[in-house]
Amino acid sequence: MPTDFKIVLFLCNWGPHVAYQTLQDRRADIPVEIKMVRIPCSGRITKALLFKALEMGADGVLLIGCQSGTCRYGTGTAAALENTEDTRQIMDLMGLGQERLQLGNFLPDQSEALLAFLQEFTQRVRDMGKSPIVPRTAAAPAAAETPETVAASHDVFACQDCGKCTSACPLALAGKSFSPRFVAAEIIAGRAQRPEVRAAVNACLTCGTCYERCPSAVNFPEFIKAMRHYYQGGELTAAPAHGGFFQSMMRAMTAETLVPRRWQALPDNIRVREKSPILFFGGCASYFDVFFRKFLNPQTERILEDSLRLLNFFDVEPALLADERCCGHDLLWSGDRDNFLRLAALNAKALAASGAEELITACPECYHTLSREYPRYGVTLPLKITHMHEFLEREIAKGAVAFKPLEGKIAFQDACRQSRFNDQAELPRKLLQRLTNGTPLVDGGAPSVCCGNSAWTGCDAFSKRMQVQHIEKAKQAGGQMIVTACPKCQIHLGCAMEDVMRGDELKMEMMDLTSAIAKSIYWA
Amino acid sequence: MYKQITITGFGGQGVVLAGRIVGQAAAIGDNLESTLVQSYGPESRGGACSAQVTIADGPIYFPYIQNPDILVCMSQSGYDKQYPSLKKEGVLIIEQDLVKPTDSRDHFAIPCTRFSEELGNKMMANIIMVGFLAAITEAVSLDAARATVAESVPKGTVEKNLKAFDKGWEFAQATLKGRRHKAAGQIGVVA
Ligand code: SF4
Ligand code: SF4
Ligand code: SF4
Repeated sequence: MPTDFKIVLFLCNWGPHVAYQTLQDRRADIPVEIKMVRIPCSGRITKALLFKALEMGADGVLLIGCQSGTCRYGTGTAAALENTEDTRQIMDLMGLGQERLQLGNFLPDQSEALLAFLQEFTQRVRDMGKSPIVPRTAAAPAAAETPETVAASHDVFACQDCGKCTSACPLALAGKSFSPRFVAAEIIAGRAQRPEVRAAVNACLTCGTCYERCPSAVNFPEFIKAMRHYYQGGELTAAPAHGGFFQSMMRAMTAETLVPRRWQALPDNIRVREKSPILFFGGCASYFDVFFRKFLNPQTERILEDSLRLLNFFDVEPALLADERCCGHDLLWSGDRDNFLRLAALNAKALAASGAEELITACPECYHTLSREYPRYGVTLPLKITHMHEFLEREIAKGAVAFKPLEGKIAFQDACRQSRFNDQAELPRKLLQRLTNGTPLVDGGAPSVCCGNSAWTGCDAFSKRMQVQHIEKAKQAGGQMIVTACPKCQIHLGCAMEDVMRGDELKMEMMDLTSAIAKSIYWA
Repeated sequence: MYKQITITGFGGQGVVLAGRIVGQAAAIGDNLESTLVQSYGPESRGGACSAQVTIADGPIYFPYIQNPDILVCMSQSGYDKQYPSLKKEGVLIIEQDLVKPTDSRDHFAIPCTRFSEELGNKMMANIIMVGFLAAITEAVSLDAARATVAESVPKGTVEKNLKAFDKGWEFAQATLKGRRHKAAGQIGVVA
């Protein structure tokens, strides 16, 4: 019973391939839906590769490797297990269901068992039906869009060649031969296609430091965003971090029939409602926690739970979008404007249907994207967008609450989307002041240097060096804890602290501001 | 319904104006009866002064108050003098930074002078107190109290004073919310 289902089988070259060959030699009934890809080791198939197949239209993916103890390279079996487990859990959260991905481990002589496994999986996929994911190819930008028009519409011609941007850029300061002034000049000179220029556009952190300094107010991050979209006509972001897993995941979420199961693991003591004038928008933190579990073990989902608890603390029982999708920030900032717009349209529809009047989010990227980028691209939302910090400031200012002070000296890590893009560096500091009993923050210069990455694009040795220098400075100034305002800052800075060459030297406690408030606030 | 409210403080705090706003709001806004007795007494000039407001849904035959149901103290001397007269089950409201209670009786406190300074003018502590009093005791309705504030303050300061009133009202709501949570054992967020 051949069907038009597609199943991708990643098959390890060693043990299980022998079993597979035995099946082929005796013309066994391997389901025709299965497309086999020979790979050197199951442990080398990353989460990004596993998911990429699904993003590109596979209805099921199989990863088959050697049995534990027989891996030629020693650690392949364990790595494959972790990668499939994490990916399956993310698939579950995003509503795809974990059953479409499965790991199998076989010895060379287990051909019969392998055949049964393949047939059973194929039958399961047939029963589940086609995958809801719609493969998306990058649409070429409109023909009228050229580097010249992009430069013109962002007023890059106003550049006076003063170089202030380069002298402030954290990447340049970390020693990378990288200069926003040079990028602007090259693109204006019609050399946008040079590989160095493309690489530079890709490397920019879009942190906005240069824009702060520029005497001609050249909005460099916006210009970079538009250039990435222009380049994307050919190839998606040249070097996305983590193999482009997050971009894949976000693109997959543009499928209308996919129904994410975003909030299934919410603790019982958090009170939410079916309908409420206030809606809480979580963002992608939960996906990150699963993805980085093994390496960094971040606890960014805590930020969302603490936010909900704080809302409850102030007697707000918010509604949630059960099928909440990503806001699209990372797609937009890695050049995939079309799929960003698809996500935006789906979110706008869901938010309108919720009937809520105000949306509160604890993620600065969601906040910025929903309140500023959606309208910029013509998507209007029928509700007010409020950042969690604004809500907290509003409620705390009413009085009757007090705080148990945080111990130790604190360095604050600004979120670029909050402090620079929305000019709100004061807001988190005002909140933090209440927790520190007036003890001044480490360094004090606001806003702080970029956390090291944005939109999972262009992470390299220089951005790493920049992070390390940043953490070292905070430590030298006596900092004992970094308070962050964005889940991603925690992930990127945590990553820099993992430097194996430095052991525990860079380790520092990190806590999100919202969580810190949740920990210390009480009714006076 | 028969409520006797005494507001005390020292001269210059606007205690009498606060009393007048409460009484007027009840009479005109809420269609009740009310009386106001103001006493500067020989102690005025920085000494204690007080306003006695009676609110009732029927005629009031005697406007003086011996044992108030609600006592608002904006100064320590006012507290010292009036506190013993407060009814056993009466409600005590104090200016948090200016009054130190002498016993552990349950009370409501608001740092209205500090709030007033934060709003840019310390002369509005009385209006903040009116907002607080209205929300805590429900002696007058929100709409009536707010409208009376707007009518009673000098033109050009209406907006500022309404802000002050709202500050007191919101602080009261937050205080009541905190009490509800504490009563339910929810003191902190993760407790
Ligand atoms: S700071 Fe502005 S004007 Fe100066 S070189 Fe950079 S982009 Fe040009
Ligand atoms: S946005 Fe940040 S990383 Fe990019 S050029 Fe400007 S300062 Fe450098
Ligand atoms: S800093 Fe670490 S976590 Fe962040 S993008 Fe780079 S490798 Fe990934």
